[in-house]
Amino acid sequence: MSQPDRDQGGWIDPALRIEGVHKAYGSRVALAGIDLVVERGEILGLLGPNGAGKTSLVSIVAGVRRADRGTVEVMGVDTVRAAERARRSVGYAPQETGVYHPLTVRQNLRFFARLAGFRRRALRDEIDRLGGALGLTTLMDRRALQLSGGERRRLHTAIALIGRPPLVLLDEPTVGADVTTRSELLAYVRTLADDGAAVVYSSHYLQEIETLGASVAIIDRGSIRALGSLESLLTDHASSAVAFTFDHVPPELRHLPGVTIDGATARIATDSPAHTAARILAELGPSELAELRGLEVIEPSLEGVFLSVTAGAPAEMEPA
Amino acid sequence: MRRLRHIRVIAGNELHLMARDPTPVMVLVVFPIITIAFLSPALKPAVVASGYPHANGAEFVVPGQATMSAFYIVSLVTFAFFSEHAWATWERLRASQAGAGAILLGKALPRVALGILQLVLILGAGVVLFDMRSRGDLVALLPLIVSFSLCLVMLGVAAAALCKTAQQANAVGYVGLVLFGALGGAFVPYQFLPAWARSVSPVTPTYWAMRGMRSVILDGHGLGATTEPCAVLLGMTLLLGLVAARSLRFDEAKTGWM
Repeated sequence: MSQPDRDQGGWIDPALRIEGVHKAYGSRVALAGIDLVVERGEILGLLGPNGAGKTSLVSIVAGVRRADRGTVEVMGVDTVRAAERARRSVGYAPQETGVYHPLTVRQNLRFFARLAGFRRRALRDEIDRLGGALGLTTLMDRRALQLSGGERRRLHTAIALIGRPPLVLLDEPTVGADVTTRSELLAYVRTLADDGAAVVYSSHYLQEIETLGASVAIIDRGSIRALGSLESLLTDHASSAVAFTFDHVPPELRHLPGVTIDGATARIATDSPAHTAARILAELGPSELAELRGLEVIEPSLEGVFLSVTAGAPAEMEPA
Repeated sequence: MRRLRHIRVIAGNELHLMARDPTPVMVLVVFPIITIAFLSPALKPAVVASGYPHANGAEFVVPGQATMSAFYIVSLVTFAFFSEHAWATWERLRASQAGAGAILLGKALPRVALGILQLVLILGAGVVLFDMRSRGDLVALLPLIVSFSLCLVMLGVAAAALCKTAQQANAVGYVGLVLFGALGGAFVPYQFLPAWARSVSPVTPTYWAMRGMRSVILDGHGLGATTEPCAVLLGMTLLLGLVAARSLRFDEAKTGWM
């Protein structure tokens, strides 16, 4: 999310650099010119409604799809010209849980670790490390088919983390995971970044992005609509508001500046919601107050940013 | 070196997966043994009538059923690809450090070995259990067996490339087994096939496999008699490889089912 740093006279490549990436499936444009830089140690939350292009983007970075145009570099290595070398730096957990059902947890980890070049003692140590980190130690001899959804999801994520890749791509990693698994995964993702890995974290759960303290890219209809730190996005795109719910919205509220009416709710955008709420309550007559059913002070949030940026496509999002 | 290691690791994983569910593999051996037991006495008159008065039927039925049931390898190869889609491991495998060639070879080579083993086992069972008396040295069949297995595996790769769903691939496997078995002269001796069937027989790998086997087992020829069938089978393998290479799109979404 920033320009490359100069270090000891040489340029340090970012973990991920995406320039002008386009992708279309037939006549449907999935990505329409994406530019993005993710630095080492950074978590980038990739947000967007279904069909926005998140998975296309992540799979292009992972090297499993080709961009029609544009370039992707992982640790300075072009993912098309030096595909195999680039893939060595990427850990990828696709959206759908991908593990060999007939094999045990250990056999799954062993297979992908051996593909990554681990052998003998190093192989055993890596499997033990991942088992410990992802809470799989006691499940090692269980077949993937016999795991719960959350356990399988942990195995799926563990495979992506084999060999401590400097760039980790997690495409909706907590879908179907229970609260404990989700919390543990988030904590581990934070640890990965603290250890210097760049993490691209695609999610529908806005709260996870906030919990991770990630920078945010909101992608919609194939383009990045907003990009920055959580704080900067809140400043630029979200506003606080106060919402009144009545049996019937009083006519005088309908004409206030910054008001939007949604059924029986009047939402008034304001920089000081408490003050605005007090003022409006003082102005309402007894009959209108009798019809008041609810009052809510809305603070700036990532959800507000998202709704503001992707106006017209918010229904797909799950705020928590 | 790295590529070889990837092929070895993927092939090892395939063997692990096959070992976890050996039922399909057992079909390769059990199915022909059952059919041989029933068909050998029944087809003896036809084999004798086709110019082999001393045959007991097994000399035709054993290689016939072996080559026909070996076609099941085609289905096993397509399963190997479609199950990756069903488990959602295909994308993961492609994102690994293994290249496309290593993935293909790693998945194909264990099935080639399986095809060879199956044919050797059935021919061996023919000798031991069904009194099949080969006039030529059965060792002369080894290059033919290898060529036929390569051809079937490549046919499986091409089918996996062309089919969009596991059901389509399954249908191709079963229809192919019966159709190629019948046209190739594995059901009944070639001489008894209708004229129209005889005219299209040579386009099937089964025909060439049966021709080579007949040359050695019934006619008593040696290695030289299998040269032409081997060459044709390897040519077919190459052709199917080209079809597979043109059709196989690694990023194509397929519907797998388990």
